[in-house]
Amino acid sequence: MRSVGRYFNSPAGLGLFGIVAFGVMWHALSRSGLVNSTMLPSPAVVAESGWLLLTNGELLRHLSASIWRAEIGFFIGSALAILLGVATARLQLLDEMVNPLIQMFRAVPSLAFVPLAIFWLGVGETSKIFLIAWGVFFPVWVSTYIGVRDTNPLLARAAASLGAKGWRNLVFVVLPAALPLILAGLRVSLSVALVVLVAAELAGARFGVGYLIQVSQQVFRVDEMFVGLIALGVLGFAADFVFEQLVRLLFPWYRAERGTRSLRRERSDE
Amino acid sequence: MTALFEVKQRHVMETPLIVCDRVGHVYRSRRGNTTALSDVSLAIQAGEFVCLLGPSGCGKTTLLNMLAGFISPSAGNITIGRLPIEGPSPNRGVVFQEYSLFPWLNVRANVEFGLRMAGTSFKERRKVAKEYLTLVGLSGVETKYPFELSGGMKQRVAIARALATKPELLLMDEPFAALDAMTRNALQVQIRAIHQQQRQTIVFVTHNISEAIFLGDRVVVMSSQKGVVADLNIDLPRPRRRTSSGFNLLYEHLERCIGFEGVE
Repeated sequence: MRSVGRYFNSPAGLGLFGIVAFGVMWHALSRSGLVNSTMLPSPAVVAESGWLLLTNGELLRHLSASIWRAEIGFFIGSALAILLGVATARLQLLDEMVNPLIQMFRAVPSLAFVPLAIFWLGVGETSKIFLIAWGVFFPVWVSTYIGVRDTNPLLARAAASLGAKGWRNLVFVVLPAALPLILAGLRVSLSVALVVLVAAELAGARFGVGYLIQVSQQVFRVDEMFVGLIALGVLGFAADFVFEQLVRLLFPWYRAERGTRSLRRERSDE
Repeated sequence: MTALFEVKQRHVMETPLIVCDRVGHVYRSRRGNTTALSDVSLAIQAGEFVCLLGPSGCGKTTLLNMLAGFISPSAGNITIGRLPIEGPSPNRGVVFQEYSLFPWLNVRANVEFGLRMAGTSFKERRKVAKEYLTLVGLSGVETKYPFELSGGMKQRVAIARALATKPELLLMDEPFAALDAMTRNALQVQIRAIHQQQRQTIVFVTHNISEAIFLGDRVVVMSSQKGVVADLNIDLPRPRRRTSSGFNLLYEHLERCIGFEGVE
């Protein structure tokens, strides 16, 4: 008993216990006869179909189609957003012209554009990439805009007194100073990309995890729907993890900087 | 008393490096105008180490910001080498009170920053950065990031960064105010030694009387109402001892000059 107690003391042990307990309850509920086991297949059945979909390559085909779309859309959307975010934050005339327009489009939930995009661009790749890029654009634009506009005035002064001007100032000071906010925007848009991706695939596709879920529903394969859901969960988790690791690798100062920021604000200004 | 310090004689022969002529500044905001500084006239010779001393809100930082070119005077004018100030320039290095190192650059890249902006070659940049890091006593931390440094080290890197472009004027805005007393003393000794060696003009803002006496060739006392209230040459022998009677006499005198203004 004592050794079991030791496992319960660690957070990982408790977490594992939670997962196992959840699985057991799910299994019990599905076998109890209280619910139709076709509607709620047991975890063992889900695991079995998952294994089958994995070994026959079908799951990977859907996953890679989804990942490819999400990647392309994410890169196009965030690249445009960063470019326009920097431009609108630095050029007042452009900002005044474009800002109301962006705010207007931003107010419309990006999922509402799914039917229109499919009507215009078809069920192929173009509509999906467009929708993901569209969804990703706004959070990245907002955070880039704010990050560039509100560059720490102290750093801006330090840079100016060291002769930073024009494009050099932009590349070596403004952009890195805005980077923490840009990264935060990119991270948010990672989950946005996933949401829009699935919505677009559900609305019509020939491949993709969303499509797998949609088709499984039509043939009453709830177990395969669950496989799709789990795959999406893993995909979202992995994307966030990879993003975090990349940031840590590329910008070693970033995490520490975030930690000291609040402290710095506390210090009273003479 | 007068043997220890005399009211600064205006140099008639030498042309001063910096001339402030009836300079004033008013901050405008929606809640009304605040006069930060009015009618300040001051001449600073090349190579002088001048401390601007005064309580919070006396306008000493405002004056420094005008010398740096961050803000322009709303009255009067300032010239450096007879030329008006047109914005910030690497010819006038600035060290700030708050830690102002670029957090995304390591120590070496921070020191190299001004040279990089000027388009100096990689090899030359490395050489100069090494030279100035050695000058401030920081060899071996080149690849560390600012967040890995103590407050005193950060300010030393900031000094090296400001010096690396070889400015004719170094502006320091209470650079040691956030440091603990012991680190502050060590850095005061160091900045004196640097001035001794490099001989650039230094304008050093502080609200610490002892710091002003310890560092300055000259102490200019400012007050928010009356502008410059005292302007003293400090002729104490170096190295200065904070416990010497001359030091303490000056301390008392300056304390009286400042009065109790700003002390609630």
